[in-house]
This record gives sequence, C-alpha cells and structure tokens, in this order.
Amino acid sequence: MNFRSMISARLFRFNAWDSPWLNIKFLLGGGTVLLVLLIGWLGPVVWDTDMAYTGSAPLNLPPMWSEGGTYDHPLGTESNGRDMLAQLIVGTPSSLKIGFLAATIGLLIGLVFGSVAGYMGGWWDHIIRTISDAAMTIPSLVVLIVIASFVHMTDTTTMALILALFAWPGPTRMVRSQVLTLRERGYVRMANLSGASAWEIMFVEMAPNMLPWLAASLTGGISAAILGATGLEALGLGPTRVPSLGLIINQATTNAALVRGMIWWWLPPILILMVIFIGFFLMTTGLDEIANPKLRQFKASGNRSRSKTKRSKPVSVPVTPADGPILSLDVHNLHVHYFTPRGEIIATNGVTLGVRKGEIMGLVGESGCGKTTVAMAILQVVQSPGRIVQGEIKINGRDLIGLSEKALRNLRWRELALIPQGAMNALNPVTRIREQMGDAILAHERPGRIELEERILKLLKDVGLPERAISMYPHELSGGMKQRVCIAMAIALNPDVIIADEPTSALDVVVQRVVAQTLLDVKDRLDISMVMISHDMGLLAQVVDRMAIMYAGNLVEVAPVVSAYEKPLHPYTQLLIESIPSIKSRKPLNVTEGLTHDLRNPPPGCIFQYRCKFVEPKCRDQRPSLVEIEQDHLVACWLY
Amino acid sequence: MGGLTRGYFLQRLFMFLLTIWLGSTLIFFIPRLAPGDPISAMVNRISLDQGYVENSEQIIAVWKARFGLDDPLWVQYFRYWQNIFSLDFGYSLARFPTQAWEIVLPALPWSVGLLSVATFLSFFVGVTIGALMGWRLTPRWLQIILPTSLTFASIPYFMFGIVMIYVVAFQLGWLPSTGAYSRWVNPGWNWAFITDVVSHAILPVVSIVLTSMGGWALGMRGLMISVNNEDYFLLAQVKGLSPARIFFRYGVRNAILPAVTALAMGLGGLISGSILVEFIFAYPGTGYTLYESIITQDYTVTQAIANLMIFITAASVFLLDLLYPLIDPRITYRQNVR
Repeated sequence: MNFRSMISARLFRFNAWDSPWLNIKFLLGGGTVLLVLLIGWLGPVVWDTDMAYTGSAPLNLPPMWSEGGTYDHPLGTESNGRDMLAQLIVGTPSSLKIGFLAATIGLLIGLVFGSVAGYMGGWWDHIIRTISDAAMTIPSLVVLIVIASFVHMTDTTTMALILALFAWPGPTRMVRSQVLTLRERGYVRMANLSGASAWEIMFVEMAPNMLPWLAASLTGGISAAILGATGLEALGLGPTRVPSLGLIINQATTNAALVRGMIWWWLPPILILMVIFIGFFLMTTGLDEIANPKLRQFKASGNRSRSKTKRSKPVSVPVTPADGPILSLDVHNLHVHYFTPRGEIIATNGVTLGVRKGEIMGLVGESGCGKTTVAMAILQVVQSPGRIVQGEIKINGRDLIGLSEKALRNLRWRELALIPQGAMNALNPVTRIREQMGDAILAHERPGRIELEERILKLLKDVGLPERAISMYPHELSGGMKQRVCIAMAIALNPDVIIADEPTSALDVVVQRVVAQTLLDVKDRLDISMVMISHDMGLLAQVVDRMAIMYAGNLVEVAPVVSAYEKPLHPYTQLLIESIPSIKSRKPLNVTEGLTHDLRNPPPGCIFQYRCKFVEPKCRDQRPSLVEIEQDHLVACWLY
Repeated sequence: MGGLTRGYFLQRLFMFLLTIWLGSTLIFFIPRLAPGDPISAMVNRISLDQGYVENSEQIIAVWKARFGLDDPLWVQYFRYWQNIFSLDFGYSLARFPTQAWEIVLPALPWSVGLLSVATFLSFFVGVTIGALMGWRLTPRWLQIILPTSLTFASIPYFMFGIVMIYVVAFQLGWLPSTGAYSRWVNPGWNWAFITDVVSHAILPVVSIVLTSMGGWALGMRGLMISVNNEDYFLLAQVKGLSPARIFFRYGVRNAILPAVTALAMGLGGLISGSILVEFIFAYPGTGYTLYESIITQDYTVTQAIANLMIFITAASVFLLDLLYPLIDPRITYRQNVR
C-alpha cells in the first residue's frame, strides 16, 4: 500500500453516523433551499405560468382568503392584472439560477487564483492577493448599477455573468489560506516528495480536504449573488420582461403597494427571499462548523464541570510516607476523564503524588500519558469535555476541589502559579510585559504605581532580563526571554507551589540550560515547591529532586532522582533511562514494541502489560499498586 | 513598538489608490466592452418607455460627439481621469445648468451620517454579542437569548426596511417612512430640525443595524472561541484575574483585531446595501442620488456619484487601516496584515 492510496483510503472511509456532514444547521438549510427549489420545479406543473406575463385577470385582486378574492387567483393580482402566484413560480427559480451560476463561476475563478497564489507564493501571491483585496473593497452594487445603466440586461445569464465579476475575491482568499495551511501538512509534503505534479497535489490531495470550505464558500457566494441580483431588480435595473422576485418588489414599491395596503403584492416575494437567504445562511454556518471542528465542540459554561466532582473516599492507595516532611502539594487519587462523543477517555487513573516543601518533582512520561492533564487538574483548569471525576488536590492542606470560584481565584498565583511553555503563546500578544506582570500582582495586592513598577523591574532583574523588557511586547522578545518573563511572573507573589509545564521544550539547547539554571536559582532562593513536567530525561536528571514516571494515566514509579536513574525498578522507567542517548556508550536505540492500550478501556491487569518484556500471567489480571519498595522509592510492578 | 511606520503607511496608501483605480476603471471599461454606448442605451430606453423618439439617430450622434464617445478608447480613458482629478464631470443632463458635482455634494453628508452611525452601532453591538457568545462564562440565560439576535443576519437590509416601513410607519404610525427631514421644519441647528432628522433616520439605521450585526456577531464568536484555546487565555485564568479582566484584556482585546480587519473588508458590502435602503426610504443620500441619476438618465451625475462612492469606501478602509496599528502592536513586524 503506497502512501497515496493510504490517504484516499482515509479520506473516503465514511461512517454515516459519525460524519460531520450530519450537521443540523447544514441539513436544515439544505432542506429549506430544496423546498424553495420545488416551487420552481412543481409550480409550472400545477399552475398556469402564462398568467405571470399577461395581465388578463381583474386588477388589484386580493388573495382568496380576503374579502373579494377568488380561487382563480389564490394569491391575488397586481395593478397590471398579472397573477401573483404565477409570478412567484416564475420568479423564484430565476433568482436561484442567477445566484448559483454567478457563485459557481466566482468559485471556479477563486479556485484557480487562490491555488496559484497559495501554491506558487512569491509575486504570484502578492499580485493576486492585492487585486482581490482591492476588488473586495469596492462596493459592488455601485459598479453593478453603473454597468446596468449602460448594458441593457435582457436575460438572467447576462446578469449572472456580470454578478460573477464580484463573486471571485471571497473564494480566492479562502482557497489561498486553505492551500497555505494544507501545504504545510505532512501528507501533502509527502506527495510532493513522491514526485506528484503541482496540479495533481492541488486537486487530488488538497481539494477533498477543502470540500467543506468550498461548499461554504459556494453557499455564501450564492446568497451574495442573489442579494446583488435582487438589489438590481428591486431598483428596476434587471431584466424587466421576465418576472423576478426583485422585480415584483420594484413594481410593488413604485406602485405604492405599501401605502395602498396591497400587502399581498410586496410581502410574498420578500418572504420567499427571506426563506432562501435563511436557508443558505444556515447551510453556510453549518458548513463552517463542519470545516472548523473548534466551533462545533464549543460548549458554553464549561467550568460548571468543577462542581460535579465527587470527593474521593479514603481509598487504600499507598501515600507518600506520612512521617515525611509536610507536603506543599498533595494530589490524592486523581481521576480525570474526557467525555468525548466517542467514549469516556480515562486520562488520569488515580494519580497520587506529594510534593514536599522546597522540592522539585519531575513528572515524566510519553506524549498523551496524562502528565499535562495532571497539571491542568492541579491548576483547576481542566478544559471541557474533561472533568475531574474524583480526587483531592491539596495545597498546604487545603483542598482546591469544591472551593468557591472566588476563593479559588484568591488562592491562585499567591499559592499556586504556573510556568507555561512561554516560548510559544503564553503571553498576551497585544499588551506590554509591564501590564501582563502587573495584572497578576494587582489581581491580589494593591501596591502603588511606583512600587508596582519597582517590583516588576526587580523580578525581571532576578531572572536576568534587562530593565527595558518591561515596556516591550512579547513579539519583541526571543523565546528564551519570553520563558524568563514567564518565570519572573510566576514568582511575583512568592507562591508555595509552581507547576512548570515543559518550560524548556521549545528552546534551543543553550537557552534550555540558561532557563533551567534560572529556575534552579529562583527555587533555591525562594524555597518554592515545584512540579516540573518534561520528557527531557537529561534535563530532569540535573534539576529535579524526585521523579514521578507516568504511563497511560497511572504513576508507575516515584523515586529520588539518583535512584531513579541508577536503579530504575519499573520496566517502563528502565526503558526511559536506557533511551537517554550517551556519547560514551553508543548503542542501538531501543525501540519499544507494542502500543498503549485504548485509554477508554484499560485492561484489568497491569497497564504496561502489552509492552512489558517481563510480563507474567499475574500481570494480565491483577493491577499492581504503587508501593514503597525501598526508602522513598515507590513502584507499581509485580516484579518486586 | 507599534505605531505607524512608513512602510506600512505606503503599503496601505498603495491599496487605497489601487482600489480607487480598479473601481473607477471597472466603471469605465465594463460598460464599454459591451455593444452599444450610454447614449444609445439611454435613447433606447426612452423610446422603450415612450414608444418613439424623434430624430433619435441625430440625437445619438450629437450627444456622442458632445461626450467624445467617438474618440479612441484610450483618449476617453485619459479624459475620464482628467475629469476625476479635476472633479469636473460636466453638467447634469437632467437638470442642465447645474454642475454634476453640485447635485452630488449635498447628498454626501446624509449618507456619511447614516452610514457611520449604522456601521458603528452594528459593529459595536454585533461584536459584543459575538464575544459573549464565544465565552465560556457567559450566563446560561444569555447564551440562550443572544443567538436570537442572529435571526435577521441573513436578510438583506432593504427587505427588512420594507417590512419596517409597513409595520412601524404605516400600521403603527410611529415614525416617518420617507426622506431625511420633513418639509415643514426649518433646516438648521434648531431642536425641531434635529429631532426631525433623528426620527427620519431611525428606521433606515435600525434596518441596517438589525440585519448586519448578526454577521459581526458570528465572526466574533468564532474568534473568541479560538482565543479561548490560546495559552495566554489559560494563563490569565491561572493568574486568578477577575473574569471581567480576562474577558476584556485577554479575550476581546485579541479577538477584535481580525474583526476590525473584517469590518474594513465589509465596508463595501455595507455601502452597497445602504444604496437600497436609501432607495426604499427615499433617503436623499448618495445611494438615492445614484438611483435617481440612473432613472433620469443623467449620465454625468452617475459617473460623478459612482466615483465618489468608490472614493468614500476606499477612504474609509484606508482610515481604518491607519488606525489599526494603534490596536495591534505587531503590525510593524508582520508584513501582511490582511
């Protein structure tokens, strides 16, 4: 199976009930538009449409349900004696036809221009984007009106062609940005390397992924074109021989139908148009949601989840020795589950972890093992659809779960701070460092203006940043500097516990050392307890006091750093330690066989059983618990 | 450091000029690509309406010569730009001794007033609604109420305007339905005139605001949702900031930037839509004047007003572009904002 066919296999595997295309708005809108189309298809069958052109009926007849109305003209007639129902039957499909034709032409032009701009880049991109931006700014109706005053628009096709003039910039922008995004994706790069031509890549690899975007662009374009056409018709500048919805509105308004109370003249075309516009609008927003999963998944009031957490009953999970020093941070039997449409994912499964005062605890594990979820749970910011199902998180003995929103806000940053992965996007891009550091302080204390400034300057100095950094914006700082701003911010209120979530991982090696050193200095000076999440074993070895190794939502080993590295007990820890490359003894990289189990459905026995070299029958059906094997060294394995 | 740099200024100035050039050129060339010419089309239309025009061949020939329509296209194009730069579009055809610009200029303040109020209101209200819709802490009852404001989002302004005229002006008789002010008030800075102008503007403004704010709201909702997932938004929560501060300084402050860009891109559409609103309400702004000039076959006024409207659109976008660096400090570093 080559790479290409793998892609298509993935693309066309279609699970009907799982499909994002089953979007309620999209289906509802599509159904509405189809219903309106039926008027055009079935209307001429059941009704004599000739009456739309020849005014042979009595003039100004009200609809049949009003006084004076007849069954011959159910929706009444207008001032020229033309039948309203017949006019609507003729006018409705013509509006849709103009819209569809203009939008399709616009989309095709946009597809070509957008792909060229996005794929070729450089000058092509520059020219196409500049022109389409300018074209988008021009008020289309002004130009259309001027054109219409010169060119006598006799038929709908001419009208559609003229409207297409303004239907291409939108799709061009959309296609360009999609191509730019998709171009960076792995499989497109692969296709590129495998020697596919540019056109092949554009239309075979990229087009299917852009389908919802293209569809949204088409439905949006159709309603824009119908709007333009109706506008011209309503001004009396469209085709005047054939009835159209806009023309009916024009004749109604110019014949004072509003004043004369002839509501049956002007309202029906408006209602039909509104139904058409609402139909396309629903389709477009539905398609936007299909194309952009973030919009779909957004659920409001996400933090109500906190209140539902059950207090954990005292379970017989071995805790860090009770006779040890007082714990600054005490996580007990933490269960966090993600309630996804595909099932309940168990992200952490009874994690119990204590951090002593002034200690750095390293938390390691592979991607997806739940270490970041632990951090988010400690900070009480588990994102929806995740929820802390059970557990306790104590800072200096006080449980955070169940604290009121206000009490929690009060405690935040003063007792519990975060050092995020600052090199990326942790700082607000539009405010200066002064304000970002200042608002953390001001949320909890009330220093004067000058005192605040001095405090921020001192903090910056503490992490080795120049004073001028205070009035800089994040984009003016390097990755390492941003990371140090994050550290300075974290220590601003001298917290008891700091969670450092991969604080060095996006930095280059030299900067990593500087940042790690800064962290250590700060910790020693302020006697802060810290949880440091990382997968950089080498860095952790030099920084942390103890290590907790996590696998698939469970802690498998907790040990002082020296014994963790020199005498790892759990087979998984051994694998991790072995995998640290060393220049002194080059050995073949140890590839771990097997896959992690499905997190929705953990096996009954040891969670590591599928990848463990030493697996025994006992491991298959009994879960080992975390027990202290040696002094301060805990492991969850049946080998000991 | 933020602020306006020379490079950015020149880039936006170029866009401004390009938009005007493109718009005016479209207006010039597209009609001329089609068979026929404005004078013949005009005479034809008159003869369609009235059945017969005496000496139509002669009239066409004279008028074509008068406007130089027999000259080569490039000569005409050159003269066209000469007219635009000197603001001299010639005499109005319908009201002969009057200059075209004398008809055009009085319409300008009405449109500028109507549109700036309507645009500001619809953007402000729409963005507020959208921001609240895209925020996790918005109270539940608001989350249910807010989307109803999108009901009219897809309906063209003018159609909503017709319904408003019928219901509010004719049935309820609360507000006037046509014009910018009543005939019997004395134009000037007096209270009677001001209230009269306001009462005439309410329906057109409301038609535009109610139908256009949904678009801003939807866009803003999407932008807020993406900001919700940003690291800095999470950090703001962890810092223990008040929800209001997180909402404004971290949420809205970031999400509004693309919304302002979208506003600049949407101004053309707004101005297009307002033409029909002015037509429906017989509001004496540029849109209505454009319509009138077409109906009265006033070729020179059409040219003048169409170019003016393109200029106004481009100028408003340019103005927004110049203000943009004030709210986005990164602007001088990123080459392409749009």
